[in-house]
Amino acid sequence: MSSFRKIAPPVHSVEKIDFIEPIHQLLPGGTSFFTLYGGTQEVVKLDFSFKAGNWYEQSKLESIMAASMIAEGTSGKSAREIADRIDFYGAQLSTVPYYDNNYVSLLALKKHLPHLLPLLAEIMQDASFPENEFEIARQKRKQRALVDAEKVGLVAQRNFMRNLMGEGHPYAPVASPDAYDEVTLEGAKSHYIRHYCSANATLFASGDVDGDVQKLIVQNFGTNWGTPYPFKKDQIQVASSAEKNIFIERDNANQNAVTIGKRVPTQHHPDSAGLKLLTTIFGGYFGSRLMSNLREEKGLTYGIHASVVSFVRDAIFMIHAEVTAEKTEEAIREIFFEMKRLQEELVPESELEPLRSFLLGRMLEDFDGPFARSQSFSSLYEADLEVGYFDKIIHTIKTTTPEQIRELARTYFDPESMYMVAAGKK
Amino acid sequence: MTKITAGKLYDEEAIRSIFDCMIQFDKIKLANGLTVIVHTDQSTPFVAVNVCYNVGSKHEDPDKTGFAHLFEHLTFGGSLHVTDFDMAVQRAGGANNAFTSNDLTNYYITLPANNIETAMWLESDRMLGPKFSKKGLDVQKKVVIEEFRQRNLNKPYGDVWHILRDLAYKVHPYRWPTIGLVPEHIESATLKDVKDFFFHHYAPNNAVLVISGNITTSEAFKLAEKWFADIPYREIDPYTGKPEPRQESDREITVNRDVPIDTFYVAWHMGARNEKEFYILDLLSDILSNGSSSRFEVRLVKEQKLFTEADAYLSGENEPGLFIATGKASHGVDIHLAREKMLEEIMMTVETPITAYELEKVKNRVEADLLLNEIGYLEKAIQLASFEIMGDASEINRQGEKYRDITAADLLATAGKLFRKGNRNTLNYLSLQNPGK
Repeated sequence: MSSFRKIAPPVHSVEKIDFIEPIHQLLPGGTSFFTLYGGTQEVVKLDFSFKAGNWYEQSKLESIMAASMIAEGTSGKSAREIADRIDFYGAQLSTVPYYDNNYVSLLALKKHLPHLLPLLAEIMQDASFPENEFEIARQKRKQRALVDAEKVGLVAQRNFMRNLMGEGHPYAPVASPDAYDEVTLEGAKSHYIRHYCSANATLFASGDVDGDVQKLIVQNFGTNWGTPYPFKKDQIQVASSAEKNIFIERDNANQNAVTIGKRVPTQHHPDSAGLKLLTTIFGGYFGSRLMSNLREEKGLTYGIHASVVSFVRDAIFMIHAEVTAEKTEEAIREIFFEMKRLQEELVPESELEPLRSFLLGRMLEDFDGPFARSQSFSSLYEADLEVGYFDKIIHTIKTTTPEQIRELARTYFDPESMYMVAAGKK
Repeated sequence: MTKITAGKLYDEEAIRSIFDCMIQFDKIKLANGLTVIVHTDQSTPFVAVNVCYNVGSKHEDPDKTGFAHLFEHLTFGGSLHVTDFDMAVQRAGGANNAFTSNDLTNYYITLPANNIETAMWLESDRMLGPKFSKKGLDVQKKVVIEEFRQRNLNKPYGDVWHILRDLAYKVHPYRWPTIGLVPEHIESATLKDVKDFFFHHYAPNNAVLVISGNITTSEAFKLAEKWFADIPYREIDPYTGKPEPRQESDREITVNRDVPIDTFYVAWHMGARNEKEFYILDLLSDILSNGSSSRFEVRLVKEQKLFTEADAYLSGENEPGLFIATGKASHGVDIHLAREKMLEEIMMTVETPITAYELEKVKNRVEADLLLNEIGYLEKAIQLASFEIMGDASEINRQGEKYRDITAADLLATAGKLFRKGNRNTLNYLSLQNPGK
């Protein structure tokens, strides 16, 4: 066979990524409006984010239920009329609750925006929270939670967060699906009134956002609507449990889920970028230490991952895997073994070099096209970071030394500091 | 072509914009039988190299199911000239993955366009000859069995497709899911099975290579020739799957499981992916359950409150597949009553023609979805390959027209044919946790 196959083709490294910032304007109603023009099709995506997530709740689940009710009726239109109109224009509308911010997104053909934007403005500004729709949404959410409670993977992750952050913390999920019986229509509606308003909103418009579309956006979303609630809750006490290891029994499981991790500094800390690199080496990609050992070497799991989950006001280092029930002990042992190895040994350049290229490729992907750019910049601004942060990440990927990586592992991978939840068969 | 009805709100220009966005591509066949398709998209700095083999779980021996998927795992273990597949992709700044379905096995690598040769090297070498080792096989068998547990055995409702396929198919190999009938089939795979499978199914003449992204057609064809032309043509096993005989009597099965909520799945046999019927039934499933204004959502979920979730969809295989209706009953609602109400709703599509407004709405939705979902260069590559495996990649650009041509009479006639007596398969999937409601 031809000899040219014997040697890998030469590779070029990613030279340059354009971090061209979106155009920003402050609308008269206080909404921050960012435009990312581009793409090849006549499609526009609008992403609103409101400071209205779990963090801002007075009681649990208000934020989720508020988000569920955004498209379920206004003082002038029924839920059915709204749904019919959105479907008629083939648009995709989503209202997503999350820990810090909640989102309302619309993906549509540009031509239909004159019909769709007034409707979108109406549902965000004038949601009426009808009781019938609220009950339906509540039951749907509760049933989903009941099914989720049967998944050992979710049981482990959610209990891990509860154990680490404390029962009442906004980043800790509710203990039981029964919590849905407690949330009230009034609570959800108050949450909506307090937090869904123009001064509390950020808008990213991406795709074919030409001058006409921008004008249309300003017309529909530029005014002042709603009254921002004077909200001061910059810190909420974290109440980590004294018991670091928990086992949750599920006798019918034939696979056990394991979640291990701890709180780590947020993206504002100088170690953050390096810690992300360390986490990737450890368990963040297919060739990671954990995947190589537990999957490709021992076949203990279909997949094992480590990541740093960034919230606006916290960050969590987390390892998660589902493994054969009777091999749980072995899997945990190997996870800690790999942590220790990173604390003691230097990562060889033969492992680092392809990883650097891989990560630069993913970074290039994060800025490929208007929708990806929109996602990257909205995460950046949400975390209150500036565009220089991207350069810092690139610099970290390119220049971090094996010694620095070992030092980070020594600082953050102390086995004594880890919390662990296993769920399944004992 | 029939003009769209009552196009008051959906103007002509908007329709044309969908035509404007047709996916342009070029196609050649190399001397060894490999089909090569190129789609240029200069808006991205990346390319995708996508290789689709015409082999899926339907090509398996009924006693050795799950094999095509296990085999997919094994091909990442290196090939004649490649020691570490993943490392090579990473070094080139790329990412890669694969999936196996009942019909096909699809591999792809995405990477910065100037590193395309790395992907061509890796995929051509995989086609030339993977390296199989006893150790690699033993480990991947374990990994796949863990996948089986994670997706099917240890997950609520995870075995639905095992039961439903077995109920609906008595002859055709769609009887088993891609993961396999039982973990024992995967456990018993030998190195000889693996090698035989490769030489009987993996060949340039049984594959489609699609290159999409930031590359010109001439450059892509040149590289395809360079890397793939010397791979020998191979005789491949003829496909032996027999068509499923027409079902003449309704079937029903009830299982009790440790799950929190009662549910059911009703499946009817329908036509193949490339038949007109497929497009008609896709619209019908959208009328029933796609979007908040769909019939199931409005009547069964919101008005009658029988379900918290109600859905209708197509299994979507290339050969004749299944039309599925399913739902999770609301708390306190008898599942059998809920099921009967859903069937009543379904039977209305046989009796009453759809209104012009509802038809237009659902067509608009499908047309927009075609456009909104085909934006990425990788999605376009996967779609092109899949249509080519079915016979002709250019079908991808006829979808819009096919949906647009559908009339209310088509829907009525096809619904009547589908929901006929004798064609139904019902799985009642009941909760052990709250018996005696």
